[in-house]
Amino acid sequence: MKHIFLMFSLCFCSILMAQNSYSIRGTIKDVSNGETLLGATVFLKGTSSGAVTNEYGFYSLSATEGSYTIIVSYLGYETFTKELQLTSDQTLNFEMTEASNQLNEVVILAQESEQVSIKKPQMSVSKLNTSTIKQMPAVLGEVDVIKSIQMLPGVTNNGEGSSGFNVRGGAADQNLVLLDEAIIYNTSHFFGFFSVFNADAIKDIKLYKGDVPAKFGGRVSSVLDVRQKDGNSKQFSASGGVGLISSRLTLEAPLFKEKGSFLIAGRTSYAHLFMKGIEDLKDDKVSFYDLNLKTNYEINKDNRIYLSGYFGRDVFNLNKIIKNSYGNATANLRWNHVFNDKLFSNLSLIYSKYDYQIELDFIELDWVADIKNYNLKYDLKYYLNDKVDLDFGISGISYNLNPGEITPTSETSPVNYLKLDEKRAFEGGIYASAEHKITDKLTAQYGIRYSMFSRLGGQNMSNYLNDQPVVYNNQLKIYERGEAISETEYSKGESIKTFDNFEPRLGLSYQLNDKASVKASYTKSTQYLHLLSNTASVTPLDVWTPSGQYVKPQRATQYAVGYYKNFKNNMFNLEVETYFKTVDNRIDYIDGSDLIGNNTIETEILNGEARAYGLEVLLKKNKGKFTGWFAYTLSKSEQRTPGGSAGGPGINNGDWYNTAYDRTHDFSITGSYKLNDKWRFSSNLVFQTGRPVTYPNGQYTYEGLSVATYSNRNEDRLAAYHRLDISATYVPNHKPENRWKGEWVFGIYNVYNRKNAASVSFNQNSDTGINEATRISIFGLIPSVAYNFKF
Amino acid sequence: MKIYIKFLTLFTLVFLTACEDVIDVDVPTAQTRLVIEASIDWEKGTPGNAQSITLSTTTPFFDTLTETQVTTATVKVTNTNTAEEFVFANQNDGTYSTTTFVPVIDDTYELEVVYNNEVYTATETLMSVVDISSLTQSVDGGFDDELLELNVYFNDPVGVDNYYLFSFFEDGDLFADLEDLSDKFLDGNEIHNFYEKDDDDDGDEEAFVAGDTVEIKLYGISEAYYNYMRLLIEQYYSGGNPFSSTAAQLRGNCINETDEDNYPYGYFRATEVVKTSYTFE
Repeated sequence: MKHIFLMFSLCFCSILMAQNSYSIRGTIKDVSNGETLLGATVFLKGTSSGAVTNEYGFYSLSATEGSYTIIVSYLGYETFTKELQLTSDQTLNFEMTEASNQLNEVVILAQESEQVSIKKPQMSVSKLNTSTIKQMPAVLGEVDVIKSIQMLPGVTNNGEGSSGFNVRGGAADQNLVLLDEAIIYNTSHFFGFFSVFNADAIKDIKLYKGDVPAKFGGRVSSVLDVRQKDGNSKQFSASGGVGLISSRLTLEAPLFKEKGSFLIAGRTSYAHLFMKGIEDLKDDKVSFYDLNLKTNYEINKDNRIYLSGYFGRDVFNLNKIIKNSYGNATANLRWNHVFNDKLFSNLSLIYSKYDYQIELDFIELDWVADIKNYNLKYDLKYYLNDKVDLDFGISGISYNLNPGEITPTSETSPVNYLKLDEKRAFEGGIYASAEHKITDKLTAQYGIRYSMFSRLGGQNMSNYLNDQPVVYNNQLKIYERGEAISETEYSKGESIKTFDNFEPRLGLSYQLNDKASVKASYTKSTQYLHLLSNTASVTPLDVWTPSGQYVKPQRATQYAVGYYKNFKNNMFNLEVETYFKTVDNRIDYIDGSDLIGNNTIETEILNGEARAYGLEVLLKKNKGKFTGWFAYTLSKSEQRTPGGSAGGPGINNGDWYNTAYDRTHDFSITGSYKLNDKWRFSSNLVFQTGRPVTYPNGQYTYEGLSVATYSNRNEDRLAAYHRLDISATYVPNHKPENRWKGEWVFGIYNVYNRKNAASVSFNQNSDTGINEATRISIFGLIPSVAYNFKF
Repeated sequence: MKIYIKFLTLFTLVFLTACEDVIDVDVPTAQTRLVIEASIDWEKGTPGNAQSITLSTTTPFFDTLTETQVTTATVKVTNTNTAEEFVFANQNDGTYSTTTFVPVIDDTYELEVVYNNEVYTATETLMSVVDISSLTQSVDGGFDDELLELNVYFNDPVGVDNYYLFSFFEDGDLFADLEDLSDKFLDGNEIHNFYEKDDDDDGDEEAFVAGDTVEIKLYGISEAYYNYMRLLIEQYYSGGNPFSSTAAQLRGNCINETDEDNYPYGYFRATEVVKTSYTFE
């Protein structure tokens, strides 16, 4: 509560100070396609009045009566200046021109939105533009948002072919992934080889690794905020590409005389078309596709509506054995309303769904599962005065989880119909935060989020002997399922268990000089929904489960401090951050846990805690023929799972052990060199400490087999992961007057063909009877070629 | 769960086999422990008087030379319902056997092993099993539509939890293939299991042809032993597989009464078993 008082008292002081001032507001767009620009800065020369455009390109600032020079800048665009006599409130919309087209000499500018903002208190945030991502070499030439962010410090994943990503030693399910505000539950295609985001349809990507603004909640590790393009409101345009794995096409056009626009983007893989031609594979199918849609309409200058959607699907059929499909679907209807010069609002109604289906022909069963949610949220931004901006809002999410329904597919099937209990929950959030220029040098961002979560009825819950869903068998020294003694029936309206939490957030920035600042932040967050997976890799089969009687919400606290410096006229940025993070109620699985088709997950888990700490260094070069960055992370991620109410010593005797996401060293270089107008060369170099794994520490003979004994969980490591990728982009004779712009991208992934172990398995050779270690490595040297176009 | 393992195997094969290679890995070595393979298996239709128990020790994971027989222990099994004791005579080759054992379905037995002045005990109840109702061969079933497979059919008793262990052994192989099965999704139905071999690229395995003989064993097992074997089988066939669960210590039901920390591996099981064989035509 202390934080709330602090915040409000500061606000009121500011209100008293703000007098006789007028406001300027408006929207900033790209002149060529009408796309709103996020993160463009507007300021009045010689004053401290300034603003940055929000997610909808809107800004508002205020100043006392007088004459000013207003400067609008967005790196990569020509800076715009205008003389201004401020005698009343004004609306000023700006359209900016991209700079690079006009320059004769070759100067490449990284987008300003990717640079550190020295003044802003926001820290631990990484931004990438799709143009940067498209330049990076990728597996099989498939531009991949999720793989690209792994080149940033503090972000890793569990190896090639595993979906999701890990931020600052956190699990993949601790990331809130939003596509136009809708939750994406599974970010991968092809079981993790590619990501669901079509770079052509995406405008902006922000990853909050910590210091998460109060408007976000529900996950304890990070927020990946992906925004789709609005669509070209000036003229019809198309872009696309043809690659080895998939092809893409995006169409954009204005609607209603530039009052609106739409975008439709499609992407599909086509390996299955070739498979049809091969006799052995003609009945198999491995494919994915996705569809992005967005449209918006400006009702009048104060009201604008947006409708956006995403639909993606993976299909994986193996003749007569297995048919598997999965995918996300989202829809979002938004209404931007400007109440007055200072108050901007957005109301969103959002739907998200993730589902998967498996048909196993050889045992004649069909398995379906899904998770869906409806989310209604209302966010407001109040530009109080030149010192204080306020954000506040409210959100409600209703979840419905169907963890599994098994249906026999024939009369003769040996399988019985089974439906696991459907689960329902409601998550509410209310927040307020302020960004406050306390002095010229000190800026603070303080906020608080109050979240509540209610696990709702409509199902029976098991009660266990001595209230222990898991019991330690002290004689055999193993954890076993508790004995269910009765069931309690909860009706639909009833709440099984309710939680609520305050989540204070605080960020401070102190400017050392024009070029350098230090920042510090404190973030508390809560996660009520957990992805259950006892495997090393996240698979589409994994089940989301809500908190309740036996699964407590995860609570994280993160402290971070950082040093930021721009030098050589913004040619270089340096960011150094260090963090310490703890997570309470992190669950882990008992040895031999069985999560598939399990109605009582609580009998397989123990409650524990996790902690992670590290140092991240990012050095970026933003201008010149060579641009790129160097990232290094030194970190530790551990967890501890004592026996708790189940008794016994817990996992690994209750000692701290490495999480699967622990990487001591993580080093990467991403660079791009523009030789001339026709050729550009890019490269990635990655080095990472190997993933923690559990290796055998002995063997014995049982039933004639050589059976391995294993050491403690995650006590060993795979060999270090490293690789080098290169790519070359060739732009054929381009005349500026031609609308058609095409480019060829040639790439080689893993140039020196390093066999990075995705896993090492230990087996007995069936011919010789001798034990051996088998390494599975996924991508060796892979050449690729792709053609991208725009008109 | 058998289905799950098969699914994982497929999943992995499809994506990953192309890039597999055998490598040298330094693995840790834990202390040597006693391994108790005490399997009281009563073959249906026989008196079940002859029983044998094997004792050995663990060795480093890649070790191929060490002699592991334990020849200095004493072994006995007691029927706790009748208090009848059966002493297993030391054969000095790591096995201990008796010819006077009396198996009784649902009776509980207690094992006692004394080795290096330490006493190891375990208890288990003898579980029954149903008969195999039929064995057939087919081509269009199984995973592959063009390869021969053996089909095993039996009727699961309705209303009770049943747990099964299968062993398939083709004449000439080094060891059997094991599968665990619970009737969790299958209660009271006619259960069909199949055994198919694939033509492996590296020649480890060859598909069945006419004339091949497979020995089939179907055991009725306890829930605890099922949980043990499920984990053992999963770890044996897919230890380290990225889609399988994290490998773990596998503790059986034998306890060291003298020194808790010097626990043994292995299991004391008591089962009824149906044994048969099939020759492909």
